This record gives sequence, C-alpha cells and structure tokens, in this order.
Amino acid sequence: MKTFSLYVPRDSLIHRINPIDKILYTITAIAVPLILPSMAASFLCMLISLSLLAAARVVRQSLPVFAFVFLILCTVVLIQGWFYPGNQTPLFGVEPFVFHAEGLMKACRIGIRVTNVVAAFLLLVLTTKPADLVEELVRRGLSPRIGYVLDSIFQILPQMMNTTRTILDAQRSRGLETEGSLWVRVKAFLPLIVPVVMSSLIHAKERALALEVRGLHFEGQRTWLREKRTYPYSREIRGGLLLVLTASIVWRILG
Amino acid sequence: MSRVVVKDVCFSYRSGEEVLKGITLDFDEKSTAIIGQNGAGKTTFVKLLKGLLKPTRGEIYILGRSANEMTAAALAPFIGLVFQNPNDQIFRSTVLEEVMFGPLNIGEDPKGARKKAEEALEMVGLTEKASENPHDLRLSEKKLVCVASIVAMEPEILILDEPTIAQDHAGMAAIRQVIRRFKEQGKLVMGILHDMDFAAENFERVVVFHQGTVVADDDPREVFSRESLLQRAGLEVPHITRLGWSLGRKETFLTEAELIQSLRGEGSTDR
Ligand SMILES: Nc1ncnc2c1ncn2[C@@H]1O[C@H](COP(=O)(O)OP(=O)(O)OP(=O)(O)O)[C@@H](O)[C@H]1O
Ligand SMILES: [Mg+2]
Repeated sequence: MKTFSLYVPRDSLIHRINPIDKILYTITAIAVPLILPSMAASFLCMLISLSLLAAARVVRQSLPVFAFVFLILCTVVLIQGWFYPGNQTPLFGVEPFVFHAEGLMKACRIGIRVTNVVAAFLLLVLTTKPADLVEELVRRGLSPRIGYVLDSIFQILPQMMNTTRTILDAQRSRGLETEGSLWVRVKAFLPLIVPVVMSSLIHAKERALALEVRGLHFEGQRTWLREKRTYPYSREIRGGLLLVLTASIVWRILG
Repeated sequence: MSRVVVKDVCFSYRSGEEVLKGITLDFDEKSTAIIGQNGAGKTTFVKLLKGLLKPTRGEIYILGRSANEMTAAALAPFIGLVFQNPNDQIFRSTVLEEVMFGPLNIGEDPKGARKKAEEALEMVGLTEKASENPHDLRLSEKKLVCVASIVAMEPEILILDEPTIAQDHAGMAAIRQVIRRFKEQGKLVMGILHDMDFAAENFERVVVFHQGTVVADDDPREVFSRESLLQRAGLEVPHITRLGWSLGRKETFLTEAELIQSLRGEGSTDR
C-alpha cells in the first residue's frame, strides 16, 4: 500500500540507524540550543544537522523545504531589521525602512534556530520509513493499537489525495469547472471536503474491521512478520547524546 | 457524420510506459462496444475522449471540437461517461441531488434539472429511491444512479464503462433500455464490456483493444467469428456463438433468437 512519507531510500549509514536513536537525536538537537542560548551553540547544532543530511545524501530532497523556510525567514529579516524594539544602530535604508544592527542580529539568531529545527526534523523524516519507526516503537512496548493509529495516519493522506482526484474527475465529468483561476479552484474545492472526509472515514473503518477480524485485539504472545533488525551504534549514539545533553545542562548551570 | 474522431493518439501515465500506442478511430452514430483484456487501456481511452486525460500525442475531436483544448467540464454537455466504479462518482447525500448535479452544472435551472433527474431515475427504475442516500444502496443500484446522473444531462454521446458488472436481471434490463433509448434518439452509445453476450446483443460495432492498440474493428458478427484473434486478445466468444458452433453451425449467432430461429428453420426442412 502506498503511504505518505517523505522517506528517500538511500544506502547510507544514517539510514541504517535505529529510528528511535534518530528521534533522540532530533530531540537533542532541538533541546541543546534551548538550554544554551548562545548563538555559537545553535550554530554548531545547525552545522551538525546539515552535515548529517549531507552524509545521508538527501540534500536535494530537503531543498524544497529549506526554500520554503527561507521565504518565511526573509520576512523575519525585514520585520526584525526594521521594527525590532531594541533597534539602536541604523545601518542602511531610508526612513521609515531602516535596517538596524540589533534587529538583523535577532533575525539571524531566529534563522539559525529555525534552520536547526527543520534540519533535525528532516534528518528523521527523510531517512526513516514510517513503518520501521512504528514497528520499533511497538517492539519497545507501545500498544499495537496505537501503532496501528500511527500507521493509519501515514496511509490516510495518500488515500485522501487519491480520493480527491477521483471525486474531482467525477465532478469535472459532470460539468463542474475545476481547472483555471484560483477562484474557480477554491469554489470546486468546497464541495469536495465532505465526500473526501467521508470516504476516508469509511476506508479507515473498513480497514479497522479487517484488522479486527485478523486479531488486532489478540491478548496473548504476538510474533512479528519481519525479523528484528539490529541497528548499528545504538549504544554509542544514545550515550553520546546523553553526554551532550548533560554537558549542556551543567554548562548552563555553571556558566 | 463523424461524432468522434481520434487521430493517432498515444498516452502514458508514467513516461516510458505507453498505455495507448497510436489509436486511430472514427465514430459515427453506430453504437459501439469496446472489448479487451484487463489493462488493455479501455478506461484510459474513454477518459481521453472525456477530456479527463490529455493525450501525449495525437488529436481528439468531439462533435467537431478539439478535446485537447477543452476542459472536461466544458465537454460535459456533449459527452457523458459513466465510471467503472460507482464509488468514484457518487458524492451527494441523496440520489435525487446526485442526479441533479450534472444538469445544474451545465446551465439547467433547478426546476428543469429536477424534471430531467426524475425522468432519468424513472428510466432506470429508481424513482422510489430518490430521497435515499446513494451510499446506502446496493452496488447494482449505485451503478444505475450513476447511469441516471449522466442520462439526466442528455449528452449527444454516452459512454458506459462496464455497465453490466454486478447487475441483476432488472439492472441489465434497465441498462438495455437506456442504450435503446439513446439509439432511438440517434445518439452515439459506447460501452466498455467484459460481458460478450451483452456486447453481441446490444451493439452494432465492436472494437477490440489489446495492449494499447486496436486489433479489430468491425460489426459484431464479423469480430465474434474470429475466434483465434479473440483468443490472442484474451477474450471469449459469446456463449450463444459457441453453442451454435458446437451444434455444428458455420455461421456466427449473436442472440438466442437468431440461434433458435435457425434451429427451427432447419427442423422444418428436415421434416
Ligand atoms: N492512474 C494511473 N496511473 C498509472 N497507471 C495507470 C493508471 N490507471 C491505469 N493505469 C495503467 O494503465 C493500463 C491500462 O489501464 P486501463 O484502466 O485503461 O485498463 P482497462 O482496459 O480499462 O482495464 P479493466 O478491464 O481492468 O478496466 C494498466 O496497465 C494500468 O495499470
Ligand atoms: Mg477499465
């Protein structure tokens, strides 16, 4: 079954790391700049996340996301540069749109933090198959039912996209204009919502029934369809991450 | 006069995998059955006619208009397509609303749309179900709702994708009735069919698709007498035809009536 994920199949070390270790990395990479507010810490985290993306050879796939983030950050630069309350040192521009050093610094800090968070998330999302992640979580004691819900979420999106396409075809066939200007598209979109959501719910219910019949609620010992995968360097990664987290907390308290 | 002209049309969903490989066909008002194995490209072909897909090469003209340059919605008043899977088509909460949707879209006022919808529902025998939710109906009834929702738009050209699937006796009769009505009005009916008996009985021309090409295009008697060709295309001959052959006849029978008449006639000469 097609699932919605941004997973990019590649043969890299990062891809072979345990999904849970990757989650832990993402959490650490986001937590450290919060614990240590210095720009250097954020910058370092960002650099590490970006180089890991490069090591996983998924830079090209992350570019669209970064492009979008960059667009948002441009507005941040403008607004902070012009209107940051702490602005004192004018640099360039004409009244009232003068860029100030303080505002630009602030924007720069925000930019680095946002890039860091996005890169850490992309590292997880682009190199991990959702099913692998869910399986690993269930093996660690997550209820299989919750695992099923998580899996469904990854499946429901492509399904909704498919349903949308078929219903759009049905509507176009019967004379509803769905191509053309933005307004036409918006008008065509509204009558879509109900049937698309309806049909997704029906599908989810049918799948749940099918699973029930096949023993989703079974209480005894379960076996696994796939052999347990062993992931490399798990202990080292966890130890290292823990060390970094502790070190930054200690630094914060002492410094 | 040509209603539909298809000139050297190619189509692929993914580059490199051609689903249709240069189709050239011309349709007048003769009702036409399109037959072929699963995956032969039949549904893709009619979606191209309908403007839902655009050819990667070649040209399509619907009643003299270039389908390549028109949106599916703009083509809707002229050509109607009943989808293979009714669930792909139904999206309103009552049968009547579902059937009125098309006429309303092509500029009918609410009163006129309602009248046409009611007529169409009567034609397929679903008048009683008008206020029910289409999703609660049986599959065969859903399919008939879809037929009605296109019939209500009164298109010049009607295409039915697998109309006979999951139909009971009454449903088959309703579909025959719709086809007959369109033929009487001089309109073009096309049907994609897996049911060879139904194709032989109700259509005046048969087009055989095989792996994205047309391998035969003739009147039913001609096509259904070419057993080896049908076999190569993964198809069967109609049961009646086979029965006739098994009885030692040389000619190709298309309907029970024909076979019975021939048997009777022979019986009388024997006596
Ligand atoms: N949306 C799509 N995306 C990609 N490939 C498709 C799509 N729809 C159909 N195909 C492929 O195109 C080919 C022709 O499909 P099509 O649905 O036209 O066949 P068909 O003759 O209608 O078959 P059937 O008798 O099963 O309805 C098939 O190989 C199918 O897998
Ligand atoms: Mg088909």
